[in-house]
Amino acid sequence: MIKNYFKIAWRNLLKQKGLSFINVFGLSIGLACFSLFLLYAVNEFSFDRFHQNRNNVFRVVRWNKAIGNRPEGGDSYMPIPLGPAMKNDLPGVVNFVRLREGWGESFVKVNNSTIPLDVMFVDPQFFDVFSFKILMGDKHTALKDLRSIVITEDIAKKLFGETNVVGRVVEIKGDKTFEPFTITAVAENPPANSTISFKILANWAFMESNTETGKRNSTRWTASGYQTYVQLQAGSGLPNDAATLAAFRKKYYPNEAEELKKRAMWSGSESPISYRLQSISDMHTNRTIEGGLMPPISPKNIWILLAIAAGVLIIACINFTTLAIGRSASRAKEIGIRKVIGSDKRQLVAQFLIEALVLSGISAVIGFILAQLLLPYFNTLSGRELVFSYQQYPEMAWMMAGLVVLVGLLAGTYPALILSNFKPLEVLKSKVRVAGANLFTKSLVTVQFILSIGLIISTVVILQQIHFMQNQNPGFNKENIVMVNAESIDAKRIFPLFKQQMLAQPSVKAVAGTDIGLGAGSGWSVMDFEYEGKSKSVYEYSIDADYIPLMSMEMKAGRNFDAKIASDTITSVIVNEALVKDFGWTIENAVGRALKGYDEKFSPIVIGVVKDFNFRPLRESLKPQLFHQFPGSAPFKYFVKIEAGNPSATLAAMQKTWTSLEPNLPFQYDFLDESLNQFYKAESRLGNIIGWAGSISIFLACLGLFGLAALSTVNRTKEIGIRKVLGASASHITTLLSKDFLKLVLIAIAIASPIAWWLMHKWLQDFAFRISVEWWVFVFVGFIALLIALFTVSFQAIKSALANPVKSLRME
Amino acid sequence: MLLNLKNIYKWYNVGGNRTFILKDINFEVQEGEFISIMGPSGSGKSTLLNIIGMLDEPNEGTYNFLHENVFKLKEKQRAQLYKQYIGFVFQQYHLIDELTVYENIETPLIYQDVKTSERKALVADMLDRFNIVGKKDLFPNQLSGGQQQLVGIARALIAKPKLILADEPTGNLNSKQGEEIMQLFKQLNTEGVTIIQVTHSEKNAAYSSHIVNLLDGVIKR
Repeated sequence: MIKNYFKIAWRNLLKQKGLSFINVFGLSIGLACFSLFLLYAVNEFSFDRFHQNRNNVFRVVRWNKAIGNRPEGGDSYMPIPLGPAMKNDLPGVVNFVRLREGWGESFVKVNNSTIPLDVMFVDPQFFDVFSFKILMGDKHTALKDLRSIVITEDIAKKLFGETNVVGRVVEIKGDKTFEPFTITAVAENPPANSTISFKILANWAFMESNTETGKRNSTRWTASGYQTYVQLQAGSGLPNDAATLAAFRKKYYPNEAEELKKRAMWSGSESPISYRLQSISDMHTNRTIEGGLMPPISPKNIWILLAIAAGVLIIACINFTTLAIGRSASRAKEIGIRKVIGSDKRQLVAQFLIEALVLSGISAVIGFILAQLLLPYFNTLSGRELVFSYQQYPEMAWMMAGLVVLVGLLAGTYPALILSNFKPLEVLKSKVRVAGANLFTKSLVTVQFILSIGLIISTVVILQQIHFMQNQNPGFNKENIVMVNAESIDAKRIFPLFKQQMLAQPSVKAVAGTDIGLGAGSGWSVMDFEYEGKSKSVYEYSIDADYIPLMSMEMKAGRNFDAKIASDTITSVIVNEALVKDFGWTIENAVGRALKGYDEKFSPIVIGVVKDFNFRPLRESLKPQLFHQFPGSAPFKYFVKIEAGNPSATLAAMQKTWTSLEPNLPFQYDFLDESLNQFYKAESRLGNIIGWAGSISIFLACLGLFGLAALSTVNRTKEIGIRKVLGASASHITTLLSKDFLKLVLIAIAIASPIAWWLMHKWLQDFAFRISVEWWVFVFVGFIALLIALFTVSFQAIKSALANPVKSLRME
Repeated sequence: MLLNLKNIYKWYNVGGNRTFILKDINFEVQEGEFISIMGPSGSGKSTLLNIIGMLDEPNEGTYNFLHENVFKLKEKQRAQLYKQYIGFVFQQYHLIDELTVYENIETPLIYQDVKTSERKALVADMLDRFNIVGKKDLFPNQLSGGQQQLVGIARALIAKPKLILADEPTGNLNSKQGEEIMQLFKQLNTEGVTIIQVTHSEKNAAYSSHIVNLLDGVIKR
């Protein structure tokens, strides 16, 4: 019997080629879309679960209760001695690994070419605690020697063109000079679902004994900046034993509570700062803890993306349902006969469900191929390096199989129930016409358009917000500024030489030095201090006198730094309007004020107020900020203002100058405007994804509408014929046939608009600087949707309006 | 006795007026009879046949089939009953266009959960008997009307019914084909199958053992 069902399903598929194509094509796209998002979601939720010791390995985090104006939260920046101390003091801790990650790129030299690459220092037991795989070499001896390193296969290929490189030597720049390291192992690339990611691993001991910061910090409990992981005995209760962890903290920070009290930041008797052990499977989805290179994600966002993908899939399923009901007239006879010759309802339901399943199975195969082809684009869109790997995501197999069945059932159930309910006599005798669109199919079509129109409205709003953020005047002129990265060189010594040579170029207008760049990935520096009994957080930048004019920033009061005034490099600061407000001053009386409490030894004096400018992404409100020229900071970023126009000649000159001053290290730079736009990468990504989903869904909805319109015209052939014989014009017929469908689109616009408005309104609340949602967006998107729908429907309507009526009447 | 109908009424309400299709029909069929129901268009012939075939229900009356009160049975039991004992032949043949000759004939057996091997044997017998072995892989639209009706009859017979209900079986056929079909019915009848046919044609009615005349929903004796 089953075999028979399959046979019928297949023949029906071939018989109705057009409709089958619409169904299969639509479902394939829906399934391709959904499987990509599913892969993404599975990847996100499987983060760090591949470690065999995942139940016993924890990341040490420092948890702060709300202190001063800082909210409650945690971070994973730990001091160097913490790991060994934990192993020593706490029962249950059997091993620890410390990582120094995200300290910026080091220069790696192979065969006289120098490449900037991330080098991560880790304890040699790294491979015992974590389950990263080794391709070449021995994981037990890798990293044992002071100057041993492990590289990934990608890096091996990049540096040497092959992976069989154990024993080879590369040079890595330490504090001052290049030093040789021996490759002791080649590791598999860390999987896409790993929070810990690396390219080159070097021995922790080298960092502690051979670098300045390592030597200085190796016994200090006050210098944090290193990740620490501990491996516990199976079943250890330590993660929940707050008392033991508090006692441990107290041992190394005995007077913490008192000191915070003295600074008026805390009033309790116990310290507000404690250690916690965070399960490694929690790292990727817990946004309350800062630290680590891979920022944690909010599970909510993943569910939103999955919901969008499910929406697209549902639109495809709805196509199947509406089309199946739409063409039920042509199958009515078959159903009647089957019932008369002895089929019962259950068997017919089974038959139609199997047809739906066959269809969804075929669509799944095509969809999966499609998904494979689209994966590279999806990876750029999602910012992940995903692969369809059964090994990595075994759960994908049953999820996909389940999805195919679910889609088949979702799409097939309603038609199956409707069709199997036909009364055989009516069907065989009185030629019932099940119209192309009943109320149910009409509602479904409306739902499709609600989803698509909602998505497209959201896309437009998101793109508008991104456009706004990228083009909003940030309070300085971001155009034509090159930021040269001088972090790895003797920045202070080289800066004046570089500046002098560059200013000799006619295309260079100005050169300034600052310690931190602007834009995504530049980092920031925040100074916390107590001012008149209140704790303050101030963003600070070390600049020179050329910086403010170069950036075309506006002074609201006072003056810029002056190279001729000696005190400017010792006590003078320039503050922004937000700081003036935060400190309770006014623009008029701010100049000459002292920032008491900033430093034990001196109080900086305000010499000027600069107009607020957006040094942070526009989703954040403006924060208090100051510029200084204090000694001890170095110009790690050279800002070069160049002529508008093609920058390549100027860049070439800059590169030449760089090479003449620093022949060993490559010239690295960014354009300021591009770097600022990077702030909005997440938003751009979201906009892209929703935009794609919106386009696909409106396409699918139109595909369904097209099929439905075709069926509706077929079902009304006789009516159209009679109307034409009676003298109706082609345009009259077209209107007649299109009207019904366009009404649905109008209803969809009316329903989608308020929902989309509300969702976008909520989304925009995350931005301190935001657009308001304009009414014309709804009109515009609604108009476009109507136009597309009209085009789709009228195609069919015109075709039948132009047909010869005699032919259609004779057929009846 | 195979079946009897007692006091069968069937009507439609049109704009407040009751229009009778069947009026007080009393009718008995013995096993092995060959009955023709005759009458002009709209006299209720087909409705009567459909009620006998359990495809339609009257508004009033009782119907016993093999001593079962049909209208007291549940839908499922009734389906079981006609699946087992009744075969239908239609004027428009009503073959399933998507199925081959072989598959069309086989389908009733599938719905009765007959095993594959047995099905094969039964269908092969039927094809052989009607001399359409060579056509078994063709689809209905590749056959002539007479051939399609042969397939229709073969399908009606495959489950070995006691009763064949035929609604104008030769209505769409030319006279030669029609004659062949009637010959076939005659032969089936002599083999013990009860047949009830609706027909317009005196010539066809002559094949039967008993004629029932219907006029405006009433049986004329």
